[in-house]
Amino acid sequence: MTTPEEIKSCCATAYGQDAVALVLGESYHPGGLALTRRLADVVGLRSGQRVADIASGPGATACTLASEYDVRVDGVDLGRAAVERARAAAEKAGLAGKIRFHLGDAERLPLPDNTFDALVCECAFCTFPDKGSAAAEFARVLRSGGRVGITDVTVAETGLPPELTTLAAWVACIADARSVRTYTEILAGAGLRTVRTEAHDDALARMIDQIEARLGVLRMTATDRLTEAGVDTDAVLRYTALAKQAVADGLLGYALLIAEKP
Amino acid sequence: MFVEYTKSICPVCKVVVDAQVNIRDNKVYLRKRCKEHGRFEALVYGDAQAYLASARFNKPGTIPLTFQTEVRDGCPSDCGLCPEHKQHACLGIIEVNTNCNLDCPICFADSGHQPDGYSITLEQCERMLDVFVESEGEPEVVMFSGGEPTIHKHILDFIDAALARPIKVVNLNTNGIRLATDKRFVAALGECNGRSGKPVNIYLQFDGFDERTHREIRGRDLRQLKRRALDNCAEAGLTVTLVAAIEKGVNEHEVGDIVRFGIDHPAVRSVAFQPVTHSGRHVEFDPLTRLTNSDVIELIAGQCPDWFRKDDFFPVPCCFPTCRSITYLLVDRKADRTDVVPIPRLIDLDEYLDYVTNRVMPDQAVRAALEKLWSASAFMGADTTTRSLEITAAELECAACGIDLPQAVKELDERAFMIVVQDFQDPYTLNVKQLMKCCVEEITPDGRIIPFCAYNSVGYREQVREQMSGVKVADVVPNAIELQPLVTESPYGSKIAGNGNGRRPATAPDTTNVGQPAVER
Repeated sequence: MTTPEEIKSCCATAYGQDAVALVLGESYHPGGLALTRRLADVVGLRSGQRVADIASGPGATACTLASEYDVRVDGVDLGRAAVERARAAAEKAGLAGKIRFHLGDAERLPLPDNTFDALVCECAFCTFPDKGSAAAEFARVLRSGGRVGITDVTVAETGLPPELTTLAAWVACIADARSVRTYTEILAGAGLRTVRTEAHDDALARMIDQIEARLGVLRMTATDRLTEAGVDTDAVLRYTALAKQAVADGLLGYALLIAEKP
Repeated sequence: MFVEYTKSICPVCKVVVDAQVNIRDNKVYLRKRCKEHGRFEALVYGDAQAYLASARFNKPGTIPLTFQTEVRDGCPSDCGLCPEHKQHACLGIIEVNTNCNLDCPICFADSGHQPDGYSITLEQCERMLDVFVESEGEPEVVMFSGGEPTIHKHILDFIDAALARPIKVVNLNTNGIRLATDKRFVAALGECNGRSGKPVNIYLQFDGFDERTHREIRGRDLRQLKRRALDNCAEAGLTVTLVAAIEKGVNEHEVGDIVRFGIDHPAVRSVAFQPVTHSGRHVEFDPLTRLTNSDVIELIAGQCPDWFRKDDFFPVPCCFPTCRSITYLLVDRKADRTDVVPIPRLIDLDEYLDYVTNRVMPDQAVRAALEKLWSASAFMGADTTTRSLEITAAELECAACGIDLPQAVKELDERAFMIVVQDFQDPYTLNVKQLMKCCVEEITPDGRIIPFCAYNSVGYREQVREQMSGVKVADVVPNAIELQPLVTESPYGSKIAGNGNGRRPATAPDTTNVGQPAVER
C-alpha cells in the first residue's frame, strides 16, 4: 500500500521528470495561459498586490501574473528541479525582483500569516493528499478579504471509472479529484467562502488532445527518447482515451473556483 | 442579436446598399434591403461563437507599394486597389482565358465552350505580372486561372514570364484534363518547377469520389482523369493542392475521404475546401442554408473524428479572419496505418496570433513564421512556407522541454500537410468590411488589382469580359430559389435579371438609406 506521503512526493517528482516533461510539455495545466488569465481576472488581481502561487511548477503562471498584472508573486513548489527552473525563468524574463520561489509543501506553506491579497493554485489541489490542511494553509497566509483562485480537475458525484483510479492516473491529476461540491466543502472547512464557480471542461478535453498530439509527434520523431525516458506510449494512450471518454460522459471535468477569506 | 452595420450590394441590380450582420440561434446572417428589389438575407457563418471569437486574430494590414485607382465612389465601386484598401495582395490571380474544355454546372467564372470570350496575349500577361510586381515588390504567389489555363497556347510562356520576375511561387489552377492526357505538358511543367528555387504548384479541382458528385458539379465523370492527372504530377515531381468545391446536398459527405486520399497520395501536399461560390454559374440554392467555413470545418471534424476537432482549424489573420481557416498536420504514414497530429495542438497559436488582447509580446520570429503559415500565400513546397515550418518546429522542440529533435525539424516539411477552408463571398454574402481587407486579388488586363470576391460579385468580371471580348455581358444574378421569378438564363448558363438589365418590377420595394440626405429638409 502506498502512503499519502509517498504518493505526494511521487507526484511532485513526476512533474519534475523528463518523462512528464516529454508528455505534457509547457502546458502543465488545462486551459493554458488563457485560463490563467481568466483566473487572475476573476480573482481580481490589482497592480501592486501580493499573490501566492501554490504548486508553481516551472513558473509560467508566476511570470505571467507578475508581468501582465504587475503583482508580486511568491511561488511554492514541492519539486526542487521545478523551483530551480522557475527561478531561471523569472531571471530570464527580468522579473526576479517581483517573484520569489520557495521549495515547500502546500500543507505547510513556507509563507507568513495574513499577508497575501490573493492565492492561486492551478491543477494541483486535487493532488494534495490532505486537502483540508492545504485549505487551512491557504486561509492562514491570506489577509482578511483575500481570495483563493483554484482551477482543478473535478469528478462527478458518482465518481470515476475504476481504471482511472490507479497510481499512474494520480500523476495526471485525476485519481484524487473531487466534485465541485466537495471542493467547496473543503474550502468552507477552512473558513473560505466560495463566491464563484465556473465549468471549463473543454479545457481538459483540449489538454488530453495535446498530450496525445505530443506523444504522436514524439512517436514519429523520437521513439528512442520515449523509451529512454521510460514512457510506455500505448499505456499512456490507453489512459488518455479513457480520460477523454470520461470527459465526454461528464464524469471528469475542470472547474474554476473563487473563495474568499472573511 | 445585432453585431455589425456595413455595406453590401443588391444581388439583383448590384446597387450598393446598407447591410446589417445579426446573430440568430448561434448563426451569423447578413441582411440588406434594396430600394427596388426588397429584402435579402444570407447565412455568412454557421458558428456565431467562432465568428465573434475570431475578431482578435485580425492582424493589422500591410499597405501595398502602389494603388491602381483613386477613391471616388467608395467601396466596392473603386477597385482597385484603391487607397482605402487595408491589405496588400498575398495572392494574385491572372485569368488567361474564358474558354474551357468543360462546361461545369458549377463555375464561378461562367466559362466553357463559348463562341465569344477572350484570351490574353503574352504582352498582356507580362503587363499584368508587372503591375503585380510594382504593387508588391516581391509578390508571394501568382495563380494562373481561367477558363482553363492549360488550354491557352501560351500558358508555358506565361509561367516562364512569372518565373523571370521576383514572384516566389507560381500556381496553376486546372481541371486536370490536360495533365491526365498530355504527359509532355506535365513534363514541361515539371521542368519549370523548382527553376531558380521557385515552385510551380498544381491547384487541381477535385470535388470527390462519387460519380454523382462529378456529374452534378462538373457535368462529366472525371474520376479516371483526376487519378491519371495526379499520378502524372507525382511522376513529374509536381506538388498538388486538391481543391474541392463543396455544395450542400451534393458532396458534403466526401470531405473526410478527400482529406484521407490527399494524405495518402504522394503528389498531394494540401487540400483546399471552398463552399461553392454562388457567383457565376451554379445550381439553385437557398442563401439561408448555404455552407460556410464553420460548417465545412464541422464536416471535416465529423468525418475524421480520430484526427480533428473543430478548433484544430485556426482563422487566417491576414485577410478578415472569418474568410479563411487553416490547419497543418504532421503525417506519419506506416504500412498498416496513418497517424496525423494537428500542429495547433502542439503550439498555442492564440498566444501568437491574438492582436487584440493586451499581453506580453510573443516571440517575434515565431509570430512572423506563424503569420506566413496562416496566410493566403502559404503553399506547401514554397520556400517561405518551408522556412516558417522550420521555425515553428524549432519552437515545438523548445516546448518539448529541451528534447533535441533535429531530425524532426529536418523532416517536418516533408511530413507537413495543409488543409485550407475558404468561403468566398457572393452577391448575397458580400460584406465590404471583409472586402476592404481582402488579400486574394484578380489582376485585370487593364492593370487593376481587384479583390477576388468583388471581381466575382459586384460586376467587375462582367465588365472585364465585355471590355476584352467586345460582346455585351449582363450582370450575373445568383441562382437563388427566391429569385427564380426574376431571372432568366444568360448565354453562358448563369442567371441574369429577366430583361437583361436587372430593372424589373420590385417584389418588395424599400427606401431606407439609399443615397439621400440624412435629414430631408
